[in-house]
Amino acid sequence: MIPEYLLRALLASLMVSVLLGLLSPLINAKGLAFLTHALFHSLLFGAVLGMILGLVFENLSLVMLTALFVTIAVVLLIAHLEQLGFSPDSAVGIVASFVAGLTVLGFGILYRVMATRPYFPLGESIVSYLTGDIFLIGLGDLKVLVLGGALLFFTMLLLYRDFLYLSFDPEGVESYGGNVRAYLMILYVLVGAIGSLIVQTVGLITLQVVAVLPGAIALMVSSDLRKVLGVSLFLTLGVQLSSVLLAYVTDIPPSGLATLILGAIYGVLLFRR
Amino acid sequence: MKAIVAENLTITYDGKPALEGVSFSLDEGETLLLLGPNGAGKTTLLRTIACFHREYTGRLEVFGREPCDARELIGYVPQSHSLNERVPLTALDVVAMGGLYRRGFVHFRIPREILEKAEEVLGFVGLAHVRDRLFRELSGGQKQRVLLARALMSDPKLLLLDEPLSALDPSARAEVTGVLSKIKRERGITMVITTHDINPLLEIGDRIMLLNRRLIAFGRPEEVLRDSIIKSVYGPLARVIPVGGKLFCITGDVHLPRKGGGGR
Repeated sequence: MIPEYLLRALLASLMVSVLLGLLSPLINAKGLAFLTHALFHSLLFGAVLGMILGLVFENLSLVMLTALFVTIAVVLLIAHLEQLGFSPDSAVGIVASFVAGLTVLGFGILYRVMATRPYFPLGESIVSYLTGDIFLIGLGDLKVLVLGGALLFFTMLLLYRDFLYLSFDPEGVESYGGNVRAYLMILYVLVGAIGSLIVQTVGLITLQVVAVLPGAIALMVSSDLRKVLGVSLFLTLGVQLSSVLLAYVTDIPPSGLATLILGAIYGVLLFRR
Repeated sequence: MKAIVAENLTITYDGKPALEGVSFSLDEGETLLLLGPNGAGKTTLLRTIACFHREYTGRLEVFGREPCDARELIGYVPQSHSLNERVPLTALDVVAMGGLYRRGFVHFRIPREILEKAEEVLGFVGLAHVRDRLFRELSGGQKQRVLLARALMSDPKLLLLDEPLSALDPSARAEVTGVLSKIKRERGITMVITTHDINPLLEIGDRIMLLNRRLIAFGRPEEVLRDSIIKSVYGPLARVIPVGGKLFCITGDVHLPRKGGGGR
């Protein structure tokens, strides 16, 4: 008999794998790895802000919601700066530095608010947000992950070709009548929303690695788009599921295992080259 | 009908002029070769006509409209090395792109009629056999022909080509020039082509414009390709040599200090 929490963890892994498997090649092809760095900062700032609000209003479900809104606002701002003519790296650099500063300020406020409400086990929440804890995912969280994930997955799937063209030649898309601004905004919102949705399962610290490496590995082993997507999906699925099962047996955090496995595969492939 | 009309056109970047006081007109079906040293404003003029750059004063019309209102009439062919080749797209994918964006916002699948047209134009540029090969695996000449095919997908009345022969070996240059000649002959599309080496394109050029941050000369090849005019831009070593009834222009390559946004 499979314990219910393990079943929930496996289902969550499945959803995370499908989302990252599809998104990761796009992150690599479009060169969005630096955006995932901004994602780290915005999710952390959003979580800190959410924890402050959660403590003030005694509702910790505000953490995920606040992180989602903050992250989407941040990625939209980055997309807007890019449209104004800033290079993607500059746009991310400008916004991430502000957000990082605000996060530190936020922590200062959070500690003060925490001192007034010692009965909330918030310290544990912060740690699990950073490292991810897929075994703690509740039924409500799972429903949000599956429904939200399905919505994001199908949106991404429908626009995948347009995102590839946007990555290949944005001026071409514009000159043939495409709305580059809208595609860019939607893509960035998808990246932000997926990050917000899966951060509690994969962990903030390892989010960047699990978002970037599957696509990087897939693009190393194949140049055919269908194969790239297939490799990315199966790799993410294999790594996520095996890390959950390994974590169940060894009691090591699964996000750490997934990151190590992906890093090892990437390292071996680079070494063999 | 006039394909392009420019009157006292000054193009600026952040308020600084990159090209000043240009006036010319081009008839429909004609091919204009834009010649000038690096930073002379060739690409700036091309990108302004294509509506990628909008900071200008004076009059600029494409088929009687503002450039941004005439976009559906324009096919823009960038330099192939400006594209992100990490994206694993086939030649057919790239060509189909040129026909997709006039219809709808979501393009999960490429419609059959677009695919058929993409195959037809790939055949027109002589590349039907590479339809399923990755764009990044094609030779320089093949890439340029694929981009030409992509531009033809939207049935443009005006083709704008940015350095279509740059970084190509002589045989690849001949391939691309052959396709440009075929486009002119069989489709009668107006073309504006920026180039450093004008000689391979002289056969299709009806007009030549010599730029050096302003209009130096504009007219028929025999009017513009004169020693005195060429030397005024490229220096005393430049010259025009008539060989067997044809003109050959020897310019070398002069690199000027950047001013404004010229030479992008």
